[in-house]
Amino acid sequence: MIFREVEDRDLIAKARRGHVEAYNVLVSRWEKRVYNYLLRLVGEREDALDLSQDVFLKAYQNLKKLEDPAKFPGWLFRIAHNEAFSLLRKNRPEGEITAEPKMAEASGGLFPIESTLAVRSALARLSDDHREAVLLKVYQGFKFEEMAEILSCPVSTVKSRVYTALDLLKQTLAPVNSGGRQ
Amino acid sequence: MSCATDLKAYALGEVGGREKAVLEDHVRGCQNCREELDRLNLTRAALASLEDEEIPRRISFVSDRVFEPRWWQTIWRSGPVMGFASAVVLAAAILVHGFARPVVPPTNGSDAALSEQALVKQVNELRAERAADLAKFDQQLKATTARLEAQRQADLATFQQASEYYQKQMARIEVASNEAYRQ
Repeated sequence: MIFREVEDRDLIAKARRGHVEAYNVLVSRWEKRVYNYLLRLVGEREDALDLSQDVFLKAYQNLKKLEDPAKFPGWLFRIAHNEAFSLLRKNRPEGEITAEPKMAEASGGLFPIESTLAVRSALARLSDDHREAVLLKVYQGFKFEEMAEILSCPVSTVKSRVYTALDLLKQTLAPVNSGGRQ
Repeated sequence: MSCATDLKAYALGEVGGREKAVLEDHVRGCQNCREELDRLNLTRAALASLEDEEIPRRISFVSDRVFEPRWWQTIWRSGPVMGFASAVVLAAAILVHGFARPVVPPTNGSDAALSEQALVKQVNELRAERAADLAKFDQQLKATTARLEAQRQADLATFQQASEYYQKQMARIEVASNEAYRQ
């Protein structure tokens, strides 16, 4: 992990000097994580892919503004967060009820084999803010402080969102949790 | 659950150190917290069942002139290249200086004789010029010495006059003083 961090720093330093290939290596390391974060947030594969490209392009253009290369992951996800919410706001005007993303197919019976679908559905039922909190915490493994920087909000707000989302998921996924025993 | 323990933070890996040990101690002895922690862990396990998808198309950027630094920016930002460039410029300057020096005329046959005569003439001219300069300097030196000597003599005469006047005055004062004493 330490070596990886050092390598990322080197790649960032090279990319800052205009080495596109170094940046491409950096992209290859992070694109899957960014894409999946965006996919689970916006729900459409094409949108997630377009957004991912925008995110990495903006990151490249602004790489010189990144003061501490060690904070690259949080900085990158902050760009991804801004891009995703820009699209969500455009597609879903404020006040409108959160639409369930198409990729999250509704699941009737909650058998273990359908656990993945159930999780997708449960995530899709959360509000954008709550879903994003779970994505950053559970799937991306950020600390509350890092999330607060990514989302530009207090740590207390981050904790509140994560805890609320976890309570909702706990209730929704209870049958799955108990191995489909109903 | 009535306990004040932050089980969610614990389940999410946000609790460490002594706080973690205290919480684990509490959970071992608290049925409610144990059940709540189990539910949270099961929820996390369910969430973990959702695996990451492969990205449909790899993202990569081609070298674009818009984003590439210009040649002078590349040189300017690179210390070693800048040092090498400086060394090259310095070497070039030395070479140019070497080639730009006045060319010595060819030294063969009658040309050589001519050039020797010219050289002798030039040396003689320089000698004459130097002799004239020396003579001029000598004249100026003599004139200056004479002027200073005249000034010195004039100052000396003035000083002698002043001295004589001073002695006369002193003699008068002495005479006057003696007369006054006698009276």
